[in-house]
Amino acid sequence: MNNATTERVRATLKKRYLKEKIFRGFGITAIAASLGFLVLLLGSILIKGLPAFQATYLNVDIELTEDVLDISADASTEELRGANFSGAINQALRDRFPEVTKRKQRRQLSGLVSSGAEYALADYLAENRDQFGNTVNLWLLADDEVDALIKRNKDLTQPIKRGKNKNNESALITRLSEDQLGWLQSFKDAGDTNVRFSSTFFTNGDSREPEQAGIRAALIGSAYTLLITFVLSFPIAVAAAIYLEEFAPQNRWTDLVEVNINNLAAVPSIVFGLLGLAIFINYLAMPRSAPVVGGIVLSLMTLPTIIISSRAALKAVPPSIREAARGLGASPVQVVTHHVLPLAMPGILTGTIIGLAQALGETAPLLMIGMVAFIVDIPQSVTDPSTVLPVQVFLWADAPERAFTERTSGAILVLLAFLVVMNLTAVLLRKKFERRW
Amino acid sequence: MSDAAKEAFDALKETVGRVTVDDPKMQAQNVDVFYGDKQAIYDVTLDVAKNEVVAMIGPSGCGKSTFLRCLNRMNDTIPSCKVTGDITLEGESLYSKDMDPVLLRARVGMVFQKPNPFAKSIYDNVAYGPKIHGLANNRAELDDIVESSLQRAGLFDEVKDRLTAPGTSLSGGQQQRLCIARTIAVSPEVILMDEPCSALDPIATARIEELIDELRENYAIAIVTHSMQQAARVSQRTAYFHLGKLVEVGETKRIFTNPSHELTENYITGRFG
Repeated sequence: MNNATTERVRATLKKRYLKEKIFRGFGITAIAASLGFLVLLLGSILIKGLPAFQATYLNVDIELTEDVLDISADASTEELRGANFSGAINQALRDRFPEVTKRKQRRQLSGLVSSGAEYALADYLAENRDQFGNTVNLWLLADDEVDALIKRNKDLTQPIKRGKNKNNESALITRLSEDQLGWLQSFKDAGDTNVRFSSTFFTNGDSREPEQAGIRAALIGSAYTLLITFVLSFPIAVAAAIYLEEFAPQNRWTDLVEVNINNLAAVPSIVFGLLGLAIFINYLAMPRSAPVVGGIVLSLMTLPTIIISSRAALKAVPPSIREAARGLGASPVQVVTHHVLPLAMPGILTGTIIGLAQALGETAPLLMIGMVAFIVDIPQSVTDPSTVLPVQVFLWADAPERAFTERTSGAILVLLAFLVVMNLTAVLLRKKFERRW
Repeated sequence: MSDAAKEAFDALKETVGRVTVDDPKMQAQNVDVFYGDKQAIYDVTLDVAKNEVVAMIGPSGCGKSTFLRCLNRMNDTIPSCKVTGDITLEGESLYSKDMDPVLLRARVGMVFQKPNPFAKSIYDNVAYGPKIHGLANNRAELDDIVESSLQRAGLFDEVKDRLTAPGTSLSGGQQQRLCIARTIAVSPEVILMDEPCSALDPIATARIEELIDELRENYAIAIVTHSMQQAARVSQRTAYFHLGKLVEVGETKRIFTNPSHELTENYITGRFG
């Protein structure tokens, strides 16, 4: 008898192990494929986005004299603000290229430098009043077209890709004129061009000029929006989950509520946006484009996610713990707050972070409530007009200037970094709570 | 069950033996328990005396655990569970409107089948009950309660150096003694034990049985057990349950040596169950 069993088992062993091998193979293939896609995606974004954190600067000698700036030496700080800084920059460029005399050419010459350079110059003079009357040597932010060519180290002597050079592989794709390329070449020859890390991307709001456009307004907007989302959705969702799981009687009404919560999780997010527009903005007259409305709308969207995961976490707490506490005479609320909730906290936090990560990446409902606006100023409170990171990505991806391509990828990198920081916080918090003895 | 036994069971109208005692702590009278449409307990009348261990034995599914849990209303949370008849603690009805389940459970403590310490330190496990009921006025009093409870549970010497260690880090037997310490820290009047040794090895079991015998001096104890030897060792009175009916009650010695009812005899001689 025994021998027969042995023989039979032995005969099937090979097949069983083969099946296991195949199964493992599938698993490894799946992981490899997903990792491959991830690397591809991240790699492409990194390559495209990293240049966004750098900017090209041109070295210029600028006269900061009374004549050029059109203010007196003892001007007040306010008067200094009104000085003719753009004139000073233009003068400096004209001094460098005295052969440029025609009006059109002069305009083109000024176009090499970013229109934001005058503000940098104003800041410089405000900090260095003793330089008034001197000629100073400064690095000025270059225009985005210049930036694109210098950053990629292009050969500026190549013809421009247009008309008869259409099929020339090495021709330059640029909106600069041949004159401008010539001047730029002279800057380059003199060693007066420089590409370095620029904080502009992190300190500025949006701008029509790509080289001055920054992520800060969107970053702060996202932070405010998420704060509102968290403050609203976390307590409401946890309270709802606790009530449904620990206190609510099992009847048709709670079943109905449960079905509706599950359905709510599957409602397209744009519907929540429309709801926000109709109720919060039109009916309750809350401010448009504001993080407070965005936060409310996103909490509606996040609630079911947190409720469902919180209920799962509460369900996973062993009933013996509840019995033990009840057997000692703990009231139902004490059972929950002293024993069940601490044990369920890691799971609840995981659900919350998943919900918030979803909210962070959400675009559609925010378009509906006007957070798609062009925001230059950094929002100072939750009622200020602002935009959020994914909407900024959407806006820049749509912008015609080519330099916005790298800004778009840069913004995605910032968004991903935000996400990583959030998830890391969640992991740390979970570690702290997860003293499941 | 043999045909003869079945007949005997069907013929059973009244519990054999004396169900009441002279000085009762708790009295159950004509208790019926229903889970939805299914009746789990049929007309059980039983007293729990002061300073006495009453053991409830019987085959699986006979309703002994259900009956035990009625004694401190642990069945409340099961929505389909309905209890009729009357159960009193010192003359106060358990299921009347005036009885608060929280207060009741502070007076009637419970030890469960599987050791279930809280996910807290050993100290906090024992201190939890006194804390929520406000039994200690300050930290020193709380320390005293914790120490004396652990001592009475025979655990203090083993854990006195690591009171801050998690309760779950103890061995199974130690965990169960911790749960007993946790229960007596509230100074209940009655302790209910639902198969407290079924998850333990013989040595840990012996230790708990000793403990139960010591606790008898101060508490009324009702214990459900699967082990007849255990019932014989720790209890003064034994109640035999069968399919929801209380078949026979009597002094433990008599039940195990000279049972009156045929079903009891069948069970303790190992013919079924």
